Amino acid sequence: MSKNARLSLIIVAVVAVVVAGFIFFSQNNNTTAAPKSADGKVTVVEYLDLECPSCRAAYPGVERLKTEYGDRVTFDVRHFPIPSHRNAELAAVAVEAAGAQGKRDDMFRLMFDTQQEWAGQQTSQQAVFLGFAQQLGLDQAAFEQALADPALRERVLAQRAEGSKAGVQGTPTFFINGTKFTGAPTYDALKAAIGKVLS
Amino acid sequence: MNRLVAWVLAVGGFVGLIASSVLTIEKIALLKDPFYVPTCSINPVLSCGSIMKTAQAEVFGFPNPLLGIAGFAVVTTLGVLLVSGVSLPRWVWIGLQVGVTFGVLFVHWLIVQSLYEIGALCPYCMVVWAVMIPIFWYTTLRNIRPTFQYHSVVLILWYLVIVAGVLQAFWFYWSSLV
Repeated sequence: MSKNARLSLIIVAVVAVVVAGFIFFSQNNNTTAAPKSADGKVTVVEYLDLECPSCRAAYPGVERLKTEYGDRVTFDVRHFPIPSHRNAELAAVAVEAAGAQGKRDDMFRLMFDTQQEWAGQQTSQQAVFLGFAQQLGLDQAAFEQALADPALRERVLAQRAEGSKAGVQGTPTFFINGTKFTGAPTYDALKAAIGKVLS
Repeated sequence: MNRLVAWVLAVGGFVGLIASSVLTIEKIALLKDPFYVPTCSINPVLSCGSIMKTAQAEVFGFPNPLLGIAGFAVVTTLGVLLVSGVSLPRWVWIGLQVGVTFGVLFVHWLIVQSLYEIGALCPYCMVVWAVMIPIFWYTTLRNIRPTFQYHSVVLILWYLVIVAGVLQAFWFYWSSLV
């Protein structure tokens, strides 16, 4: 065997061993405990990405369910910004930053209503989000400061990590009382699933 | 070295040609159905549909894989000629060197775009990355240093750097798998 072939094989073997070892040792105690409600009420947790068109598509149905079941069901939105959506993380931070001024839901709706204008871009849409803050009458300086706040970003990423642990592979993913909802998240399908848990 | 280059060009060119053709066909299918909405998955491969809609997918004003079809067809033809024992004139080798150098630079630019700007992977594009590197490497060795001993060692290390980049760029997804 030539020196070249021998050295090539050695490198391949070393890499194979390292990869195998890594996979073996990182098979940790993955707790796949899904988020559950504490107060006995029915809880719907949605992991979503503000830049995701499928989340945008599910949004009107979810809003309708909120108005219909608002008294009996808690709807909880958690962030799951997908890395390939370049502005999803900043959008999530912007929603939380608006939340610090009591306008979380308004910013959330505005993000989805205008998704076509800012989604799918490879450049930062910070200026657009600042415009949203102005539109909502937020304190601009405080909002801008919050956008850059690492603590807020951490909170968004912590939600994503939690979702990932619970088995979220894409968005939107719903958990109804801790059970992962499968199938297309249409108004009818979600309503049926919620109705089943309520009865 | 001459036999090796001949086979790398013939096989690599052919594989690249197939991948470019598939990408072109997918591009046409996408044009026919502009309302196709890709699912929002953390899997960088499943967001493939979106890669083709980016500006980087048609740098020169037309879909990149068309360049691949033309380029890889030439590489395959030259490779087959070499395998069957034809010796090519010097100027053809110079021309090939210019072509594969452009190809390898372009592919690496696309790799950087894919990993760090677009944030998604597309399997057939990766096939093109994988064949473009040896085509460039062995053509260059044949033209510049045909006696170089550790040719496949360099190739493997080259591949490893790119694999490491893919792992790092999509770490969030890979770590959700284990």
